[in-house]
Amino acid sequence: MILEELAFLALAVVALATALLALLVRELVHTILWIAVFFVDLSAIYFLLEAPFLGVLQLGVYAGAVTVLLLFGIMVTRKRIFSREATTGIGAVPLALALVTFIFVIASVGEFSAGATVHAYDPTYLSQNLFNVNGPWLLLLGLIMLGAVGGAIYLVREGRE
Amino acid sequence: MSGLPIVGFVGLSAALLAVGIFGILTRRNFILLLIAIEIAMNAGILNFVYFAAYTGGTAGLTGQAIAVVLVGFAATEVAVGLAIVLALNRLRGSINVAEATELRR
Amino acid sequence: MVSLADLFGYAFLVPLLMVLSFVIVGLAGTRLKRFEWGGWLAVGFAGAALVVGVLIAAAELMDPSRYTNVQFTWFHLPAAPGVFPNGFSLVAGTLVDPISALMLLVVTVVGFLVMLYSIGYMHHDHGLPRYYAELSLFLAAMSGLVIANNLFEFFLFWELVGVCSYFLIGFYYEKPSASSAAKEAFLVTRVGDVMFLLGIFIYFYYYATTGPSGGWAANGFVFVRGTTPFLAGAMGGQSTVLTVAGIMILGGAAGKSAQFPLHVWLPDAMEGPTTVSALIHAATMVAAGVYLLAVTSLFIGFTSTDQLAIVAVGGFTTFFAATMAVVHPDIKRVIAYSTISQLGYMVLAVGAGFAMVGLFHLFTHAFFKALLFLAAGSVIHAVGTQDLFKMGGLRKSMRVTAAAFAIGGLALAGIPPFAGFWSKDDVLSAVYSQLPSHPAYWPFFVLAVAAVFLTAYYIFRAWFLAFSGDKPRDPTLPHAHEGPWVMQVPLVVLSAFAVGAGLFIFWPNFQGLLLHGAGAAGIPPVYGPADLALSATSVFLGVAGIGLAWALWGHGKVFVLADSSPVQPLRRLLLNRYYFKVGFDWIGAKGVYTVARAADFVDRFVIDGTVHGFERMFAELSDRLRRIQTGVVSDYAAYVVAGLIAVFVLLLFVAPYLVAKFGGG
Repeated sequence: MILEELAFLALAVVALATALLALLVRELVHTILWIAVFFVDLSAIYFLLEAPFLGVLQLGVYAGAVTVLLLFGIMVTRKRIFSREATTGIGAVPLALALVTFIFVIASVGEFSAGATVHAYDPTYLSQNLFNVNGPWLLLLGLIMLGAVGGAIYLVREGRE
Repeated sequence: MSGLPIVGFVGLSAALLAVGIFGILTRRNFILLLIAIEIAMNAGILNFVYFAAYTGGTAGLTGQAIAVVLVGFAATEVAVGLAIVLALNRLRGSINVAEATELRR
Repeated sequence: MVSLADLFGYAFLVPLLMVLSFVIVGLAGTRLKRFEWGGWLAVGFAGAALVVGVLIAAAELMDPSRYTNVQFTWFHLPAAPGVFPNGFSLVAGTLVDPISALMLLVVTVVGFLVMLYSIGYMHHDHGLPRYYAELSLFLAAMSGLVIANNLFEFFLFWELVGVCSYFLIGFYYEKPSASSAAKEAFLVTRVGDVMFLLGIFIYFYYYATTGPSGGWAANGFVFVRGTTPFLAGAMGGQSTVLTVAGIMILGGAAGKSAQFPLHVWLPDAMEGPTTVSALIHAATMVAAGVYLLAVTSLFIGFTSTDQLAIVAVGGFTTFFAATMAVVHPDIKRVIAYSTISQLGYMVLAVGAGFAMVGLFHLFTHAFFKALLFLAAGSVIHAVGTQDLFKMGGLRKSMRVTAAAFAIGGLALAGIPPFAGFWSKDDVLSAVYSQLPSHPAYWPFFVLAVAAVFLTAYYIFRAWFLAFSGDKPRDPTLPHAHEGPWVMQVPLVVLSAFAVGAGLFIFWPNFQGLLLHGAGAAGIPPVYGPADLALSATSVFLGVAGIGLAWALWGHGKVFVLADSSPVQPLRRLLLNRYYFKVGFDWIGAKGVYTVARAADFVDRFVIDGTVHGFERMFAELSDRLRRIQTGVVSDYAAYVVAGLIAVFVLLLFVAPYLVAKFGGG
């Protein structure tokens, strides 16, 4: 299955590159573009992992909603959309912390086998699991999201200085 | 379907997490901070998805279910984050996190 | 048909009524502009309590053999080997038996009469709601004490009467002498209370763990009448531990009943209103110490060493306090010393093994001593001074008071047929009967007999100084007149008791009461003039004392001791109360102050030094730590990541190393 491995390699490289680009470009709108590409790329990886439901979800929620939300955030907080961020130094300490974290994460999962079978799931079973077995947790998620939205409205309501 | 290297996936998610952390630590624009958080979050979700794919059975389904929930959480988090961005912008006229140091007091 | 005996289960009504009075008068009284009906309300409650108390006493007199214990168990600890081999219960309840019925009668009668008298006596004072509320609380606590059915409950009420005494002595708290007297009374009785508590602990330890009567602990230390007191039955009257416990109980009683050497507080307690002195410091609370000794001797028992100690304390105090009363110019303090002296008689009787004789003297003494105090209060109310040497000739303007004081004095002096004669004679003949078997009692018996003479002398010295003669020695005194009827009625009623209470001893039912009260103690009380010679001696001594007083002070004469007289130093010694107070003050000033200085040094340099050292250390640390609080979110995120890395280090390197070194698991 060399084709799949190649596809994965390509997608992984694109994911890393877009993530880095999104954080490093100085124009915020370009950031949004790169992060959109990143989300779509991850969605492709999910399809590759035989998880089409999650792939679609990723496309809809992230590549669609979140991206638009972020873009909207930029629009309301800036006078000119296409203005550049001031350059920010890379910083030795953050870079070191990030690298050390990376090394440790790799080290801690190093004992996994090199390759394994990828199981395909029928989304029907996923929905059964989601709504029957883990139903209460989903309900809890809904409550938390409701609370979060309430909090968000409270934060941005008028007349609060 | 088989043969996809698990080490590659672990490496990818670890690298994405590192990128996210790096972004969280260095970016001063609140929106970029949110994006960095999303990158780290996606690294975590990716973990759940590929371990679910390799595990199989109902346990694997649970992994995917958690991933679905996490996507929902991430979306909520962005909504709240943007609310904070708006509040901060109105309060201080800027969304530079380095200037919002009220926590010190 | 409801019989009187059914009342026994309702003895709790007495304290309950007085607590109600305390709450209602205390809370509602302060809202009134003019405190007119508040005092009458308290009198009403005291009257209701009087009815219950008299009915209970009457029922007990009808059938002296019965006693009724009503209780509920608060909690029960099951038997546990090594800790409580027999288990332990804490109970609350009431016990109505001959002695508690007798005490309840005293408390309610004197309490009611004093309340009534207060209406007139306290009329012009401020803070009356406080006065009546505290008096009600005192009566509640005192009646609770006499009907308490176990030692722990007893101690609870014991402390309550102590605190009420503190409040009431300090009623005129604006006066420095009154507030310091209140503190003195509280602190001195506290010494006794601590000893009492230690005694309870020892009994608790002994009976709940190792003692042979362990069932007593399981039943909550309730006072029950066995065939013998526990101690006599179990140990044959000898046990070092129980001797120590008995001494501790004696200490508690000595504190409350102002026995030597804890007697100093009672004369100073006269700073309170005279009504309080009559009720608390003559009739009831100070008698609680005697009651405690009686209860202990009847239900637990004393060892023979304890008995000797009690006899010694009582006999010595009897004489010792009487000598101080001989020279004192303050009418109330003379009576206060006589109270200490008379309490000594009671302690003496209880110590000699005749608890019921002691309680009989307590019974009569409560009436004639309250009478003396109320008569003195009437005098003070009329002339506004307590100095005997300023008074004189009051007999003409205050006939009722003069007669009442004379009756009280005759009763105190032990002249037949007044109440004091019968009970005091009982005490003396009871102790006399023990002399052949206990020769060590001899000196204390002699002291007690000698005190009879002194008693008669000092009380009639006071009477002649106040009432005889033509006119007051201090011409500036206001014209004296009798108080209102509310003050005269108690005097008349108490006079009747002072004349007749002793004659109760000839009433078979009262005899039965005393007999059954002693019951388990196995020692029957002694009745009447058992030893005619002894009675004749004590009456002769009493008459001689009165005669000496008449010779020296009669007809308004004032006996002045020449400065060169050889007994002058003795007089000074007595006036200065044997320098006891000075000595205690010296101990307080030098001894305690030195300890306090040392404690202050330790506190300042050692404890404060340590505390300040820690304070500086943490201040320094926090000053450094606060610099990492930049307020920038990214910095906080960096700390989080650093913590995450630390967790990784722990999991990947430290944990495996520890597992390898100390073994997994």
